Amino acid sequence: MLSPIQTVRLLLCALLLATSFACTSNNAVSPEGPITRTLTDDAGRRVSLPFKVDRVISLAPNLTEIVFAVGAGNRLVGRTSYCDFPAEAKSVTEVGDTRTPNLERIIALKPQVVLISTASQLEIFTQQLQDQNIAVFITDPHDLEGVFRSIQHVGEILGQKEQAGLLVQKLRERVQVVEEKVKQQQPVRVFYQVSGEPLYTAGRDAFVTDLIRRAGAISVTADVPGAWPRFSNESALATRPEAIILSTGGSMGTANSTVTEALRQSPAVLQGRVYKINDDYLTRPGPRSIDGLEDMARALHPDAFKQ
Amino acid sequence: MITSVPSEMFVASPARQNRVTLRKTVVSCVLLAGALLLGIVLMALVGSEQLPAGSSLCALASFGTTPCGLTRDQFDILFQIRLPRILLAAAVGGSLATAGAGYQALLRNPLAEPYLLGISNGAAVGTMIALVFFGTIEWTRPVLAFTGALLATFAVYRLARGRAGATPERLILAGVIVTTFLSSVIVFVTTLMDATRIRSFTFWLLGDLSGASKTLLPIAITIAVAGTLALTLHARSLNLLMLGERDAFDLGVEVGRVRVVVFLVASLLVGSSVAASGSVGYVGLVVPHLARLSLGSDNRISIPAAALGGALFVIVADTVARTIIAPRELPVGAITALIGAPLFIYLLKRS
Amino acid sequence: MLEARELTVSYDHRVAVADLTLTLRPGEITAIIGPNGAGKSTLLRTLNGQIRPSSGAIVLDGQPLERLNRRSISRRIAVVAQEAELRFPVTVLEFVLGGRFAWSTNTGWGWETERDLQVAEAVLRETELSELSGRLMNELSGGERQRALMARALATEAPILLLDEPTANLDLSHQATLLTLVRNRCDRNEAAALVVTHDINLAAQFADHILLMKNGRAVHSGTPEEVLQPQILEQVFEVRVLVDAHPVTGGPRVTPVHDRRS
Repeated sequence: MLSPIQTVRLLLCALLLATSFACTSNNAVSPEGPITRTLTDDAGRRVSLPFKVDRVISLAPNLTEIVFAVGAGNRLVGRTSYCDFPAEAKSVTEVGDTRTPNLERIIALKPQVVLISTASQLEIFTQQLQDQNIAVFITDPHDLEGVFRSIQHVGEILGQKEQAGLLVQKLRERVQVVEEKVKQQQPVRVFYQVSGEPLYTAGRDAFVTDLIRRAGAISVTADVPGAWPRFSNESALATRPEAIILSTGGSMGTANSTVTEALRQSPAVLQGRVYKINDDYLTRPGPRSIDGLEDMARALHPDAFKQ
Repeated sequence: MITSVPSEMFVASPARQNRVTLRKTVVSCVLLAGALLLGIVLMALVGSEQLPAGSSLCALASFGTTPCGLTRDQFDILFQIRLPRILLAAAVGGSLATAGAGYQALLRNPLAEPYLLGISNGAAVGTMIALVFFGTIEWTRPVLAFTGALLATFAVYRLARGRAGATPERLILAGVIVTTFLSSVIVFVTTLMDATRIRSFTFWLLGDLSGASKTLLPIAITIAVAGTLALTLHARSLNLLMLGERDAFDLGVEVGRVRVVVFLVASLLVGSSVAASGSVGYVGLVVPHLARLSLGSDNRISIPAAALGGALFVIVADTVARTIIAPRELPVGAITALIGAPLFIYLLKRS
Repeated sequence: MLEARELTVSYDHRVAVADLTLTLRPGEITAIIGPNGAGKSTLLRTLNGQIRPSSGAIVLDGQPLERLNRRSISRRIAVVAQEAELRFPVTVLEFVLGGRFAWSTNTGWGWETERDLQVAEAVLRETELSELSGRLMNELSGGERQRALMARALATEAPILLLDEPTANLDLSHQATLLTLVRNRCDRNEAAALVVTHDINLAAQFADHILLMKNGRAVHSGTPEEVLQPQILEQVFEVRVLVDAHPVTGGPRVTPVHDRRS
């Protein structure tokens, strides 16, 4: 039995935890060292992080890419089976796929931080990992700024703030070049096809919608609620897109490499403006998304990139 | 002849007038067919895109030979997208309702339903195998779906049948066993698929009529019509089978042969609809129940009526699914389950 | 006429009926009595062609049963078994019309003829169910349902009736009513009936012949007076019985005697 005072303290701690304040009396010292900083993630959670992080697990391919890009690849101790870039990532231990990672293996790898992406729908694991004193940091970029934020967050978590800043700066410059070039161009009305049968597209909350806008185009499904909505065939036909982007290739292989039936008579198809862009660039919000932006812009506005 | 009936003794019994007759059957079916046709036309006027109703009606009346002022895109939406989808909905609805009526007679239980018995899952496993191994060869889907449905039907039949036919408890238990087993097979196979295919597949598992493919639509319609006819042509045998296999045998039904016919035809119906549209649940439960409620248990009328009613039911359910959150879509199975599940609970409580 | 000659039936790896010979003659009721597991119901199912005998022959009107198709057998042999559970709403008339199936020219999409209806209505009158003909079967009482089963069997117009415990669910008055129906059929229409029953006194009252079975064999066969003798019954049923004359019919009356001291 707990004494009344203990009970009150426990309740207080629970309350404090629930409001995301560190409960100093119990958590002042974690096995890894003192907790001295908190960082707010994309889910609005204030995550308590160890000062020095040298064991991190990434549960999404874009986060793996970011970890390597900020120069902390050597501290990555676990990754998903989808994390295939850069090549060095493949030598890191696998902990399952994004949907069903192996919790036991994650815990056995003793990470200090687990990076997850809401795209992989892993919120349920968060609690269990936190119970093991493993910090969980959620990223959820809805636009390019969100991608940059993810990079900066990961850099900060891993003590690579400077490198992350440099990376973001370089990426911003590349984005600026693209935006400068397409500025004078007439925006192209684009249909972005995620899968043809059944038809899925990119909606309001997909970061790729922002990417399309920056590439000098308008996604015809930019106002559809959700990130990856199941889309009506007849509405697709009625959008009459001038260009169609198929996200295919990369780890997707040849999947989604044909235009959906409803769009076969669209102006885009009739004028031969169907572009295949590497799926990895467009579905993994990371440094290579800028490659995707450049490829899209180049495909949609070939004249602007001529000289 | 043993009984001799003196004509002056003849008095019409009160039940005589309420009997199912050829006339009553034909009248009911013609009315239902009219309602179905009306449903097809009306639902063709509704969709995520607005089409001018007058011109659409005119174009439909001309069977697509004149555009009646519709733009090229509007014409394509009507005839290339909406109408094929509505026809597929009709074929799937008719098939599932007929199959449901068949399983109910075979298992002697009004709760029998292809989705709840796991037979749709059997067909889904077959379709998945076809997708994984023969991705581009479309006709392999109904063939393997049929095989899967047949095996699942056989399993359910063996598990559910007790001395007193399939009691509700046994039936539901058998359905749960077959469904969960096949669900794990599906989960196992989907984990072997890549991530993007999983998403489209999970949507498809709940029933999706958007893929009204030019190859599968005629197959689905042919099987729906032929299957309904085949079962209707065994309706009198099914009437007796429904009351017990022993009784049916005693009264002259070739039980073994009729059983094989129901096995094959119902599996074919489920296989073709699952291959074309995934698993649309509860149609086989709701529609035959309503048919019996309004027209009686005689399969000579309830099977063709259920087929026509099922077609109408799925057309309407799918119209809701494709318009309610337009331009996004819901799986049609979600709509049919929303209507079917409460009815199932009601029927279960009554039995 | 239905004859079984030296019939042996093996069922679930055991012999259920052994070397049994039996003839059902027009105008006669034969009752089969015997302890549980004697093979009575198996015999009935075999006579109807549902269970294939391992040896011996069944001859229906001079033809071997296995050469006849299902419907021609059903036109000649009708079965009344214990009622099956009904899970579908069926009216009494529809139910009884089921008995006309074997007469239809089309077994699927056919329709009952005027004659089918007349026969059905006649048997409904015979079983006093005319009033209930439009009611649903599951609204009827147990006794009414059993009568409907009887009516359906009679509607087949089969000259041979096989009844498996037809009175099991009935009260006293309905037991007599039902067997009177059978008796009338035999008397008026030269039908032959086989009744499997546990009710020895009912058998004594209505049967012309009694076949006493035990362990699949016919132990005794003959008129009620010949078969229903204390020493025979005590040997077969392993219980002491008192057999005396029925005060009204004069036929044998069997009363089991339980010795309370043992």
